[in-house]
Amino acid sequence: MSDEAVVGKSMRKEYGKLVAVDDLDLKVQKGLLYGLIGPNGSGKTTTIKMLVGLLSFSNGEALLLGEKVPIKEKRSLIGYMPQEMAIYTEITVHENLELFADLYSMDEASFKAREKELLSMIDLTDRKDSVVSQLSGGMKHRTSLACALIHDPELLFLDEPTVGVDPELRVGFWKYFADLKVRGKTVLLTTHYMDEAVRCDVVGMMRSGKMIAEGPPRTLMQETGTSDLESAFLEYSRRDTR
Amino acid sequence: MKAQRVLAIAKKNLRSLRHDRRTIAFIVMVPLLMISLFGYTFGGEVSDVSVYIVNMDSSPANQSMAASIIADLQSRSTLDVKNIVGPEDATIASVSQARQKVLDADIWAALVFGENFTQDAAAALASLRSGSQVTPATLQVYIDGTNPNIVQAVTNDIQVSVQKVLILPPNLLVPPIVMSPQLEYGAGAEFIDFFAPGVMGLAAMMVTFMLSILSFVHERGASTLDRLLATPVTEGEVIAGYALAFGVVGLAQSVVILTAAVLLFDIQIAGNALLVLLLIFLLGVGNQGLGFLLSSVAKNEFQAVQLIPLILFPSILLAGVFWPLEAVPSFLQPVSYVLPLTYAVEGCRSVMIRGWGAGDVALQITVLLVFAVVMLLLSTFGLKRRR
Repeated sequence: MSDEAVVGKSMRKEYGKLVAVDDLDLKVQKGLLYGLIGPNGSGKTTTIKMLVGLLSFSNGEALLLGEKVPIKEKRSLIGYMPQEMAIYTEITVHENLELFADLYSMDEASFKAREKELLSMIDLTDRKDSVVSQLSGGMKHRTSLACALIHDPELLFLDEPTVGVDPELRVGFWKYFADLKVRGKTVLLTTHYMDEAVRCDVVGMMRSGKMIAEGPPRTLMQETGTSDLESAFLEYSRRDTR
Repeated sequence: MKAQRVLAIAKKNLRSLRHDRRTIAFIVMVPLLMISLFGYTFGGEVSDVSVYIVNMDSSPANQSMAASIIADLQSRSTLDVKNIVGPEDATIASVSQARQKVLDADIWAALVFGENFTQDAAAALASLRSGSQVTPATLQVYIDGTNPNIVQAVTNDIQVSVQKVLILPPNLLVPPIVMSPQLEYGAGAEFIDFFAPGVMGLAAMMVTFMLSILSFVHERGASTLDRLLATPVTEGEVIAGYALAFGVVGLAQSVVILTAAVLLFDIQIAGNALLVLLLIFLLGVGNQGLGFLLSSVAKNEFQAVQLIPLILFPSILLAGVFWPLEAVPSFLQPVSYVLPLTYAVEGCRSVMIRGWGAGDVALQITVLLVFAVVMLLLSTFGLKRRR
């Protein structure tokens, strides 16, 4: 098997005249924390939705863990957390987790063990039986993350996982992403908070559906002579428009 | 209260409508649909009730009162006389054949004029003048009592013809011709017996359709559907799961309605209640699919809510829930026969009032089954189509 968890070749998505993703090439090595960064509307979410099989390709193709998208057999090896919280608010935290565990055909024992572990990680053990709509925004966010992790996926797609999350919790999230990496998982996340993407191993900078730069954050900053990713992004944008 | 601020709020609301063309279309279309449907169906009189006539009256054709009554009945559109047997070859066998047609619900009623009809009527007329007592002539009517509206329309229409032919003032103490109606089904049936199956079907349809369209609009808006579809679950499994849940909701509701109708209104269930529940379940599953399909048309809950009357009103008014299909204007009747609720209501009535079994309502079961299957397949296909 290859070392790449994600390979996208000339991925393209058009909506009429609008090109949301413009011949994007993407490679994510296994076991890395990869951050897709760029302003709103740069095509990050569309890229993720194409990869997880929710949107068709206008052109190009992609492989996830060696299987062509849309993947079928290996769907249980991936986890996905959409940009909106996307959890059922009229049922409890436990019931949400159980739903996704069942969809991934987990058995009762491994679900119970995994649920306990995740609840303690997201610090919601005592709120397990609360209906989600009664939880605070941060708690909902954590529940949403736990739903994406319930089946212990190899490859995780997180679309703007830190939007609307308070700073304290955000630190916790990043700690957990790093921990996933240590355990050999691959994480592909998007964010438009460029400063926090320095914690990624590799970042891909997207602008108008194109990749304008890709590499370890430090390298990108060195190459542009900047001290933060936001300045580096602006520099690459300037070069791109030239 | 300051006018400027009130106007500012009002302006905001009207402005947000301006950009929602679909809502504007609904605001115009829903009332148009409602007024036309109510206008055409509410004032509608029962017409074209299919009947057979067996005329055994032995009087010569030019003197036969039976023939005159028949001619008068045919001059109006309340009854649709499908077949007239006699006077030459009408026998007792013809009567039982016509009766069987009523029992099979092929026709609503069979009118039978006896051999001495004109003679008896003439004798009764003469005795009225002389003051002596003579048995009046009998017009036997075998009628399907499943639908009280139909029974009333048929008996009224016959009375009108009888009075016209005899040229007598109404309400004579002993009329020379008496109608003797015999209900083949629904003896003792009241309006509640007729309404209960309709209300049950309507309630099941409303709840499954509304739950389905609102749930799916919500699932799309909140991206939970995206999340589901990124798991190993298949589109067919999602739809089947929904159908199962809402089918059960429809069933539970029907059980409540049935129980209440039996306990509070003492309605009769002549046939198997389980068969009624099967019909309702199929209707619920199909409407769940319809709700799903329309959820892709509605962009948000607001638009979904407006789609609801568009689907519900034709069914409420045209599916035979409150008045028989015979009272629906003929140009709207094709719509009635396309509505699944029509079949559910007809099936439930046949089981509950006529006491029919599965074989007798096979048509209704088949139509509802096809509806459910087609809706589920279309839903699955709709979910599979990726943008």
